[in-house]
Amino acid sequence: MTFHRFVRLLVPFAALAMPAALSAQGFGLNEIGSCAIARGFATTASPCRDASTIYWNSAAATRLDGWSVVAGAASISLNGSFTQDTTGRRYDANVPTSIVPHAFVSYHSPTSRAAWGVGLYVPYGLTSQWQDNFPGRFEAKKASLATFYVQPNVAWQLTPNWSIGGGPVIARSTVELIQGLDLSAQTPFPGGPTFGQLGIATGTEFGRARLKGSATGYGAQVAVAGQPTPEWSVGARFLTPVQFKYDNADATFTQVPTNLVIGGTVQAPFSAGTPIDALVAPQFAAGGHLVAQKASTTITHPAQIQAGVGYSGYKNWLLEADYAWIGWKRFHVLPVNFADTTLSRTLLEDYNNSSAIRLGAEYTIPTDGWKLRAGFAGVASAAPAETVTPLLPEQDRTYWTLGAGIPVMKTWTIDAAYSHVATPGARGRIVERTQPAQTAAQLNSGVYNLSANVFSFTLKASF
Amino acid sequence: MYRSHTIARGALLLGAAGAIVACNSDTHLVIPTVNNNIFRSYVALGNSITAGYQSGGINDSTQRLSYPVLLANQMGTRFAYPSLAMPGCAPPVNNLLTQTRVTPKGYPASTATSCYLRNPSSVTAVINNVAVPGIASADPTAPVGPNANALTELFLGGETMVQKALDAQPTFATVWIGNNDILEPALSGLPSTATPVPTFIANYAKTINALTTGAPGLKGVLIGVGQVAGTPLLFPAGVIALSPAARGAASLVAGRPVALDSATCAGANAAALIDFQYLIAIRYRPAGFPGTIFCQPISGGGQTDLGDFLVLDITEQATVAATINGYNNYIKAKADSIGFAYYDPNVALAALRANGAVPAFPNLASAQPFGQYFSLDGVHPSGAAQILLANGLIDVINTKYGTTLRKLPIS
Repeated sequence: MTFHRFVRLLVPFAALAMPAALSAQGFGLNEIGSCAIARGFATTASPCRDASTIYWNSAAATRLDGWSVVAGAASISLNGSFTQDTTGRRYDANVPTSIVPHAFVSYHSPTSRAAWGVGLYVPYGLTSQWQDNFPGRFEAKKASLATFYVQPNVAWQLTPNWSIGGGPVIARSTVELIQGLDLSAQTPFPGGPTFGQLGIATGTEFGRARLKGSATGYGAQVAVAGQPTPEWSVGARFLTPVQFKYDNADATFTQVPTNLVIGGTVQAPFSAGTPIDALVAPQFAAGGHLVAQKASTTITHPAQIQAGVGYSGYKNWLLEADYAWIGWKRFHVLPVNFADTTLSRTLLEDYNNSSAIRLGAEYTIPTDGWKLRAGFAGVASAAPAETVTPLLPEQDRTYWTLGAGIPVMKTWTIDAAYSHVATPGARGRIVERTQPAQTAAQLNSGVYNLSANVFSFTLKASF
Repeated sequence: MYRSHTIARGALLLGAAGAIVACNSDTHLVIPTVNNNIFRSYVALGNSITAGYQSGGINDSTQRLSYPVLLANQMGTRFAYPSLAMPGCAPPVNNLLTQTRVTPKGYPASTATSCYLRNPSSVTAVINNVAVPGIASADPTAPVGPNANALTELFLGGETMVQKALDAQPTFATVWIGNNDILEPALSGLPSTATPVPTFIANYAKTINALTTGAPGLKGVLIGVGQVAGTPLLFPAGVIALSPAARGAASLVAGRPVALDSATCAGANAAALIDFQYLIAIRYRPAGFPGTIFCQPISGGGQTDLGDFLVLDITEQATVAATINGYNNYIKAKADSIGFAYYDPNVALAALRANGAVPAFPNLASAQPFGQYFSLDGVHPSGAAQILLANGLIDVINTKYGTTLRKLPIS
């Protein structure tokens, strides 16, 4: 018996790539510094006055005097569910709370036009995890991606009011994906019918695939910061695409008992009473397709551009509005290759460029220097209607944020932020899209609902 | 009923932000609604009639005509059936006399063993029509029941019928089980091989208990077993004597002149019911052997007895009727005990007989030799009869549950 449609295993690898990329814009690991979170990520023109500016506008590091050290983490709790059309049944996601760290160091001598620093941040990351009975587990049961960016930074003050900055990015990405294997899509022998045509229901899990790999990517970020008038500030940043080549990922497979038997004789070897698990077991043994092997793919995180305008003309107030653009259009297809070439395939993504509007405000209490912050961000989905999947049920979202900065003695400040991420819900699919002609109407079989709560704390020092 | 051997399946700046995030309409989030919430998930358990078997075969064209599909449409609920690829499994007969089967252009000639498996696009996680042709009361709770056949695998995929039904998290069910416990024995003239009533009761209770335990709050209809004597595949022996046209047609099928045996068919015995296959059996008698039809056993009974096999004499008819009444008394009582409605299909069947819609002897010159309400196998309802069944069920459902399902137009 030869299994000819394990090409579906490519889906997992697609998972590897997509979450990382999407999270920067889409699912939003913009959680880089509690001050920025509280201001709705609108911090390109008037960045928070700490070393996190290395990410938000590296040129503005020249506005900091002396040393600035920042360290913190955000806690992201995601609530997700999928409500199936056919049964009306709701399947809740089972996503563990994620802790996303950030750390920055910057130095700028007041007598120098240059500033130096380095940042460690996580611009992309995602964990999606569903229960064992989730019918979309064949697309993704669990997807975990962590991408750490290290960015050395140099900023140069061109004029008293204008600076440029930037630095290379060295990124390391680790991914893991666990996916169920659906027997119904497999063909028992070359040219033969699928098990589905033999009566096996869609969503009959007979095995589980686990893919784990890591890759290093390189890129750069450049920025410009200006203050044309004492009240107005402007800024923009550009993060280059970063390509990750997961060339040596490990794919392993485990058989899952179906405990089914052939209900009635169709044709040999499908005779009444024959255990199906016995029929598929050879595929997990030496010589079968579902044995430990290497896999590879290449994922390019798209370019990011963010530009903003800040205004501080109102006493004790800072207001800013930013626009962000992500070049997701290039995420069109995703080729995935396995050592067993019969499993290799190309996934269809067809992403669109996406945009976000980010609005933030900060009020400084004159008596004690406390800073009260709030913000809002609206993000358009990059994924087309036919690519809303269990791996990343991408959809339009809004961020409502607030927070505070609390000075502690002269040197230290504690920033805290809360963000609620809301979505309108989106129809999505739980099956693979195998043909470009397949439409959302044909593929989508339920409604994904997502929300998230983010708590972030940052300790920072200036000296 | 299923006869494997018969002739017969998604401020300005703030405004801009709002524009970005508001591009989806909520209208695409709507989950299908149903006529009444009790019909949110309807499943149909049963055998060949429920599956949509007609003319000795089943394919997508016949499946979509089945009463559960029609009923689900009136309910406004999602209803998936295990569509078979054309021309079917087996392809239905399209000519009673030649027994040729539906064969699309470019396909090999279809036979009774031709099977084109499931339509790939029909493969889903959940199906609502879980009926399997050929199964009897012992089968729905067994992965491989005593009457398991290829369609058991193609429709249930290794699950029991009850498990498959429960996969749909049903809120409403119709159950029509039991026809095959008596059909074949009756048609063959050997009713003693029918499932004894106590065994039937035990089997039936097991199925219904498993179903209702797995789906608390389930509502539905239990359907009684059809009286086999009402199937047009059986014709009264007396018609051969009374109707020259029937006698001529029977002789045509038998390949020789046919006549009633004067000894065994005398008097009331002429009311014996003869399986249409009896005539085909005559065709295979040795050359020169007369085409005599016997109405009572002549050689101790059994399959080799020309007066017993394929002959349902008047004593056997009473036995069959009593057995079916025994089944149906329990089904009715079971329905009452679990709060289900009960539907007796025999009322409609008898009405068809009474109004002449079912011919006493098949009209071989007609494209519908068994009348418009029966398909070419003389046992399974045609599409027209499936509408009658759906409407009959609608009546009992509306009465029992106070619903407002609309009846289907009768063509």
